[in-house]
Amino acid sequence: MSSILPADPRARATWRWGGALAAILIVQSLLLAAVFWALANGSHRRAIEHALTDDCTFFALTPPVERADELRERLSRDIHRDHFLGLFDGRGRLIAGNVARLPAGPTAGSFVTTVIPTQLPGKTSDEARVTICRLPGDMTLLSGVDLDDTEASLALVWQSLLLALIPGLGLAIVFGLVAGRRAARQVDAVRDLTRRIVAGDLRQRLPVGSDPDSFGMLCAHINTMLDRLEALVAEVRGIGDDIAHQMRTPLTRLRARLDRSLRDARDPAAFAEAAEGALEEVDALLGVVAALLRLREMEDHARRSRFAPVDLARLVDDACDLHRPLAEDRGLVLDCAISPAPPVEGDASLLMEAIANLIDNAMKFGPPGGRVGIELIPHADGGTIRVSDSGTGIPPAERAAVTQRFYRGRRQVEGAGLGLSLVKAIADLHGFELRFAEGRSAVELVCRTPR
Amino acid sequence: MTRILLIEDDDGTADEILLELAASGYEAERAGNLALAGERARAAAFDLLVLDRQLPDGEGLALLADLRAEGRRTPALVLSALGSLDDRVRGLRAGGDDYLPKPFALVELIARIEALLRRPDDSRETRLIAGPLDLDLLTGQATRGGRQLDLLPRELKLLDYMVRRAGSIVTRSMLLRDVWGYSFEPNSNVVDVHMGRLRRKVDGEGEAPLIRNVRGQGYVLDPAG
Repeated sequence: MSSILPADPRARATWRWGGALAAILIVQSLLLAAVFWALANGSHRRAIEHALTDDCTFFALTPPVERADELRERLSRDIHRDHFLGLFDGRGRLIAGNVARLPAGPTAGSFVTTVIPTQLPGKTSDEARVTICRLPGDMTLLSGVDLDDTEASLALVWQSLLLALIPGLGLAIVFGLVAGRRAARQVDAVRDLTRRIVAGDLRQRLPVGSDPDSFGMLCAHINTMLDRLEALVAEVRGIGDDIAHQMRTPLTRLRARLDRSLRDARDPAAFAEAAEGALEEVDALLGVVAALLRLREMEDHARRSRFAPVDLARLVDDACDLHRPLAEDRGLVLDCAISPAPPVEGDASLLMEAIANLIDNAMKFGPPGGRVGIELIPHADGGTIRVSDSGTGIPPAERAAVTQRFYRGRRQVEGAGLGLSLVKAIADLHGFELRFAEGRSAVELVCRTPR
Repeated sequence: MTRILLIEDDDGTADEILLELAASGYEAERAGNLALAGERARAAAFDLLVLDRQLPDGEGLALLADLRAEGRRTPALVLSALGSLDDRVRGLRAGGDDYLPKPFALVELIARIEALLRRPDDSRETRLIAGPLDLDLLTGQATRGGRQLDLLPRELKLLDYMVRRAGSIVTRSMLLRDVWGYSFEPNSNVVDVHMGRLRRKVDGEGEAPLIRNVRGQGYVLDPAG
């Protein structure tokens, strides 16, 4: 089968469409012909039987002496010569008629049999539907109708069927070609575009008509997927650029420092100093790498498996304890207001890292000599950790941006700008909400174990 | 002498680690693939394995799991470029005693190695003495050469931890993990500020400094001063 079909799957589709349609057409025509034949034949037979019964009735009512004349009279009126009539006496001898003898058969209803015509030139036997009836006066009547007509009309039905089938098959093949071509064109369009997309041109979109069919809807779905893909790739590219920029400055500094010390340093102490400076730069770079790795790890969501109940009050208390000396050294007041709260499911180290980052930001971005507030506000299923400072806060326009990697609102402050994005990633991992309080400089981490 | 088997396929990294181990007074040997590592680990008595996860002929953790199944309890420090914490959990489950993600500082590596090689502390001990330092954990009193040190509870815990690891480098992340109970790499110098306060209390004016800052990475308590 496959060997005679074209190798190109699209051409094969054309043949398949056309073939299926032709098969349907043939079956349909045959069914139609059969039904037509059955109905027409039945109706024709009933008409014949009616006429034959009428003959019986007529001759039964005719007085016996007039029957032969009446019969001859009738035969002479039968210009089509498709009627057979025969009047036989009690011993089966022909009295009058155009059949040679009385065929064997039942004397009720009609049946098909072979009769021997006597007045048809060149014909010695003929198929006919006949009925045989006993007439009063010990006579028997044979009345029949030649079936040549019926056979002719059957042949006519077959002929018309075949004649109609040929253009039908032609139409089926044409339709198959058109439908196959159309499908092939659509597939070609998609294939062409996907090839360009694979080659890297993510801006390409599949054509979708104003009133799309199911294929068009599929294309629309693929376009939506491409939109998302394009956005993701842009994001990844952006992150790559960010990383490159983030690394380039310290690497340039590092290179310059090493270059200069190689040239200028004259004694071990000078070399040691240069090496120490270089180490610091490298550590800063490693810090960026580590932070990026942690972000990726957060986004992997692999850490949920280690979640356990976390006591928020203890967590916030520890965070205060950890940061108090640092705040004092920087001349800041660290205010902690903690109320006991129900435990939440989470990773204590990650949550501590998030809080440490929030406190770190508050200490960096708040005004010198200000106040950093850390509150735990309990609710029924957890608590909100609010870290506030006495500064101006993050302008609403920047709030979405600050949780993205490498964003730094105020560039003069040190740090790689990964802090809030890490906090956001940790919050997302837990299903917690990170939000910015209105009208004051505060960030809230709403900790609720998701149901 | 303490013998360490380093299982690491990258030549540059291996050379640096071997030099650092030698400088810290360890006798170190290197295996660049799993087959050789398995052979050496079974043939000779090592005090510690330092094991990379991705090796040319397979996964380092598989070897570790095999060794553990054979009943070899040699402590193992697992190194990996896979920085994910999930990997860390897997590393520890496979029988690793500690897990250090790459990139790491050599000081951190040496500190972790020292921590693994040290005999488990007798944590029931309530009186610790190191050089002039004397800690009574029951009363929470600490003295240096008879001078009362006025330590806050957290500072006492820090000093307790340092005294138990006297002579070894203790890194910031070890302190954060073991004294506070949270394991992460802090952005700010929170731990340093705590250590700074402790040092000011322990090392008074004119006294030889007992706690030393190891550049960039951590601290050492040297009872000899």
